[in-house]
Amino acid sequence: MKKWKTIVKCAVGVSHQQQNLPCQDYGDYFIFKERCLLGAVADGAGSAKYSDIGSKIAVNTAISFLKAYFDELIEKKRLFPQIPRQNTPNINQAQNLYSDLLKEVLKAINEEAQRLNCSYQDLACTLIIFFALPNSITAMQIGDGFLAVRPVDGDLQLLFTPDKGEYINETTFITSSNAFEEMQVKVLEKPCSFICASTDGLEKVAINFKDWQPFPPFFNPLEEYMKETVETHEDDQYIIDFLNSERLNARTNDDKTLLLALLTELN
Amino acid sequence: MAVGLPEFADNPENRCPVILLLDTSGSMYGEPINALNRGISTFKEDVIKDTQASLSVELAIITFGDTVKLAQDFITVDEFNPPKLEASGVTPMGEAMEKALILLETRKRVYKENGIGYYRPWIFLITDGAPTDNWQIPAEMVREAEAQKRCLFFTVAVEGADMDKLKQIAPSDRPPVVLNGLDFRALFQWLSTSMKRVSGGKVGEAVALPPVGWGQISI
Repeated sequence: MKKWKTIVKCAVGVSHQQQNLPCQDYGDYFIFKERCLLGAVADGAGSAKYSDIGSKIAVNTAISFLKAYFDELIEKKRLFPQIPRQNTPNINQAQNLYSDLLKEVLKAINEEAQRLNCSYQDLACTLIIFFALPNSITAMQIGDGFLAVRPVDGDLQLLFTPDKGEYINETTFITSSNAFEEMQVKVLEKPCSFICASTDGLEKVAINFKDWQPFPPFFNPLEEYMKETVETHEDDQYIIDFLNSERLNARTNDDKTLLLALLTELN
Repeated sequence: MAVGLPEFADNPENRCPVILLLDTSGSMYGEPINALNRGISTFKEDVIKDTQASLSVELAIITFGDTVKLAQDFITVDEFNPPKLEASGVTPMGEAMEKALILLETRKRVYKENGIGYYRPWIFLITDGAPTDNWQIPAEMVREAEAQKRCLFFTVAVEGADMDKLKQIAPSDRPPVVLNGLDFRALFQWLSTSMKRVSGGKVGEAVALPPVGWGQISI
């Protein structure tokens, strides 16, 4: 049977350390019934006061929402087995699902803003969320950062083009007025053996900006690590060292997040 | 496959382009031009202390006096040697503004062709006089560029500047700032600090700039 092997790590950027800012990135995952991987990463806006809290709320709410969605799907299948239901939605269903998810996330952001007595813009962050089944991946992205996947029969590809304005520091946040319009949704009906989700702190070293293709020398060692590592919870020093390495910090001073997943044949 | 320019292969950092649009007309002769030269040196010395900023901030200098001259084409601060500017002639500010806008869009095209990310460019106009050429159309171009977010345009008035005309040139939400005496040092230190903040990673739309300690915003 195939199972997901997964790891997620965040590291605070050099410029954030210098300015005494907390790590504003956040990432998490949940493995549903062993076969479905739910993953999310978020990057809090540097200019927003509580964006470290915003990114946590966005990730946690998004994952809870998908959990509830699958719980309901399973329940419906149990109660009405005669109605055929696909685990992988079509693109329209995926768009509706992620619109509902974004509404739920914004509701949670709003509640937190009231609790903190601040504007909900103070909790601004980007968001990438996906669920991967053994034969498909359904994903959504608002703002920058990237989601790279390797279909079993093909080359590594980016599911979305990072949402950049003309200027490198311009992007859309979930709290932006155009978040629903700028939300990108994709359903890839192919089994993916390797997934890497990340915030924009790693864009510079992972993506070739000229053609928006993933840069294999960045991804290959990570994929190799996932293949070789038996227990990602215990043997995570490689990823921690990589994220804090001087070589990497010389190229990026922003917070960095890596969410890696590998579909493996386990007994 | 297109071959990238060596400057971008050696230094693939995102760029923060800045154009200094400097009045070098006869009225700047003497202490004003000396103070301006020292100010530019201060800028280099200050930015170079920050490795990231010195690789990101790209400076170009256009002077207007005898002629409109590209005194320095875009160069990152780590490679920049401040030129010694001299003052003489009249004030062809209109032509200089036009040249700056063209220079900027050309530079953006080079960034795009080489896959280099960039921040919103800044243009800094510094003058102690009034334009002696046709400035109305270039002024409209400046305001349009600012409105379309193609650049941020700052207007600095040194004592003696024609404030009425500068107010018509400067974008309405960023009126001219009157420099305290000849305190170019403070002005360039502010510019350096601002640039370090802008180049310091992703900061979203609103960069909190340091307070303007070097002049007064006149309304």
